[in-house]
Amino acid sequence: MPLELRDRTATVTGVLTVEEVEPLAAWLRATARPGVNLRNCTHLHTGALQALLLFRPTITGRPLDSFLSAHIMPLLENRQSSKEAQKGAAQ
Amino acid sequence: MNALLAQFLTEADDLLAQVDEGLLRLERAPQDTDLVNGVFRAAHTLKGSSGLFDFPELTRLTHAAEDLLDAVRGGRLDLDAAMTDDLLASFDLIRGWLVHVTSAGRLPATAGTAAGGLIERLRRPLGGSGAPAAASAAAAADAPAPAVAVAAPRWAAALGGQWLEETAGWLEATSATLRLVRYTPDEDCYFRGEDPLHLLRQVPAVDRLVPVPPAAWPSADDYDEYACLLDFVLATRAAPVELAYLFRYVPEQVEIVELGASALTRLLAGEGTDAGQEAGQEAGLEAGQGQGAGRQAGAPQAGQEAGAPQAGQEAGAPQAGTAQAADARAVLEAALHTLSALPEHAAERATRLASAGRAVRAAAHVLGRDDVPRQDDPRAVAEAARRLLEAAQPVPGPPDAATSVSGDSAEAVQVGSRTLKVEQEKVDRLMELVGELNVAKNALTFLAASAEEEFGSRLLARRIKDQYAGMHRIAEELQAAVMDVRMLPLSVAFARFPRLVRDLGRKLGKSVELVTEGEEVMADKDVIEALGDPLVHLVRNSLDHGVEAPAQRVAAGKEAVARIRLSAVSDGDAVVVEVTDDGAGIDPGAIKRKAYEKGLITEARLEAIPDAEAADLVFLPGFSTAETVSDVSGRGVGMDAVRASVERLGGTVGISSAPGAGTTTRLRLPLSMAVTQVMVFSAAGQRFGVPVDTVAEAVRVPAGGFGRVLHQDVIQLRGEVVPVIDLAATLHLPWTPPEDIREVLVTQVGGQKVGLLVERLHREMDVILKPMEGLLAGHGAFSGTALLGDGLVLLVLNIKEVLGVAARAA
Repeated sequence: MPLELRDRTATVTGVLTVEEVEPLAAWLRATARPGVNLRNCTHLHTGALQALLLFRPTITGRPLDSFLSAHIMPLLENRQSSKEAQKGAAQ
Repeated sequence: MNALLAQFLTEADDLLAQVDEGLLRLERAPQDTDLVNGVFRAAHTLKGSSGLFDFPELTRLTHAAEDLLDAVRGGRLDLDAAMTDDLLASFDLIRGWLVHVTSAGRLPATAGTAAGGLIERLRRPLGGSGAPAAASAAAAADAPAPAVAVAAPRWAAALGGQWLEETAGWLEATSATLRLVRYTPDEDCYFRGEDPLHLLRQVPAVDRLVPVPPAAWPSADDYDEYACLLDFVLATRAAPVELAYLFRYVPEQVEIVELGASALTRLLAGEGTDAGQEAGQEAGLEAGQGQGAGRQAGAPQAGQEAGAPQAGQEAGAPQAGTAQAADARAVLEAALHTLSALPEHAAERATRLASAGRAVRAAAHVLGRDDVPRQDDPRAVAEAARRLLEAAQPVPGPPDAATSVSGDSAEAVQVGSRTLKVEQEKVDRLMELVGELNVAKNALTFLAASAEEEFGSRLLARRIKDQYAGMHRIAEELQAAVMDVRMLPLSVAFARFPRLVRDLGRKLGKSVELVTEGEEVMADKDVIEALGDPLVHLVRNSLDHGVEAPAQRVAAGKEAVARIRLSAVSDGDAVVVEVTDDGAGIDPGAIKRKAYEKGLITEARLEAIPDAEAADLVFLPGFSTAETVSDVSGRGVGMDAVRASVERLGGTVGISSAPGAGTTTRLRLPLSMAVTQVMVFSAAGQRFGVPVDTVAEAVRVPAGGFGRVLHQDVIQLRGEVVPVIDLAATLHLPWTPPEDIREVLVTQVGGQKVGLLVERLHREMDVILKPMEGLLAGHGAFSGTALLGDGLVLLVLNIKEVLGVAARAA
């Protein structure tokens, strides 16, 4: 099971497919101050990334996957930089 | 072969047929935009689907053809006969390739060279040589070709100031360039199984990738996790070819610019953004237009769902799909923006105006409206755009986009599945089983007889007969239903003729109009298939021998354009197909002379044949009236071949001609060949059958009524002398004819009556005739076998051959 949902934390292992996007989003919506552990996540479906960007959970484990940690994590971790990017897009 | 490829091949077949038909009609009505669009769509779908497989030549060739068609569609080119020739040749080549793919799983080795010449010919009218390097090397769909831009587009700012600064410095120092990509996935792309992030993962040499969240997120309650709201901006050192290849299925969703240091520096300094904006605007407009066209083609995703949008369009859906409407809105807004800031310079102004006009027209088409603005008046174009924009406002519907989308697709699926494509073998198998059911059912009558005779139970016999009657009815209905499945319209047999007539007409320098009638008449698929060759032969004959050259026609006071008519009418359980031309007709004198010169008829017959029957002489084997053997007809297969194949189907053929006014050939074929009515009789204790339609009558003749003329037994029948053949003797079966009353089955073959001396006549029966197989296959005297209800095998005679055997024996 690539997605494990607990009370406060969700753990993603391996490839998170489009099938898991809906449960993840529902969980994020319902959980107060959620945390997501991406340590062993090798790929996130775009829909999942989008949900993470919207609900902004605390990332409790940085992914070991190089693509995710290089290109995706900066945006998930740093609200400041994401806002900058937003501004850039909005201009 | 994988299932996807198999599906592509069947689909491609239909598409090619559409293209062919469209092109031919287009040649006659070059102004018909619907036709151009239809052909373009089919070519576009074919190209899109071919991209799924490793057929680069196929994709390149269809791409070239599509470009040419696009130019015709856009009014930039007028389609002429030479272009049509090239296009037809291209699609013929593709058809040939696909045949090869079907058997070998790949394109023939010569595909590259064969395609090269055609691609060049197709591109010539467009003023270009060969395909653009990027597109051909990528063998991909038309990704926007990146040109080194002077100014960076605005969205590049998303990459972040610090990065831009560093990169600009680096590019400056190395005078290198980078490619920036903006990828804006469709909102509903998840439903098509796309995962943009997964695609981006595959981009090589990524320097920086930034997902751009939407300017404003919906509230958490309204958030739809299945609508893709993210954009991506990335900088990569990957070659344009690589990018074009990776994004080949979503070319309209990506924008690629090649940038050097100066552009980045200027972006950082806040300069050149105007130009950048305009470039972006323009590109957006073009992309939007492309997107519109892609959807229109019903193949947004490489033809995966080609059926559904097309079906929608055929229904003439006035309310365009929501996604289409959204695209159209984007295009229209972009067009309005372009119009609001038209440059002063005249030439530039004209190009802008033209592209805006095109965009508005494309949007109008997508929305199912035909407000086509005048291109040269900016106000008219803007007015039309505004009108369309109003029409394209989103319809208030269910707030949840996901449900509405899935609802749409569910409906589309239903539309698509109302007809099934079934393999022929399956239907044939079904037919065979029906035949076996008939046999099993017929066994009940034998059971009833034995119940009465052997077990003495009349009651049981009657009940079995009742049961039999019920089963009989069901079996008959089942048989009718299966036969109905096998029925095809005659249009299938007629489909190839427009093309054939056009090509031959051009080759022979004759202009001919083909008229087809009765395409909706249905006949069994075997009949339809077997009809093909004889019809081709007849139409060729009409073109080559019947129709005169235009000058001759005018001199004879006819219209220069000849007319060949193919018509079909159903007549009871037969279908009558006629090939009529208004050509020179058949000169009875010439025909008779010819037949005599070739030694086909005797001098006595030459005198005796009335003019009206002279035309029939063309059916004699070895008869060919053409003075020279052309490659159109007269390749050694004459009208006798036509007659032979029609008779093999159980049909007849006749010809009538009026000199100077034309010729009509009439084929009469049974609607169905699956069930044959046979007359069952026995000879020398063995049962045989003959097709009922060859039987003229059955008579009982006393032995004394037999006479002998020229070593041949004859009987007199109402003043007519009919030769009689002893079937048992012919087939070398031991039997002595009775000395009192003899049974004679009088058959009619080729207009002549011949009697068969048989032992006993039984009854008529519907049987399913199976061709002779194995060792017996070469035995011409039998046309097939059928299984009887009591388990016996019935041999069905081919009377014509039996007579031949008898004649040789005598």
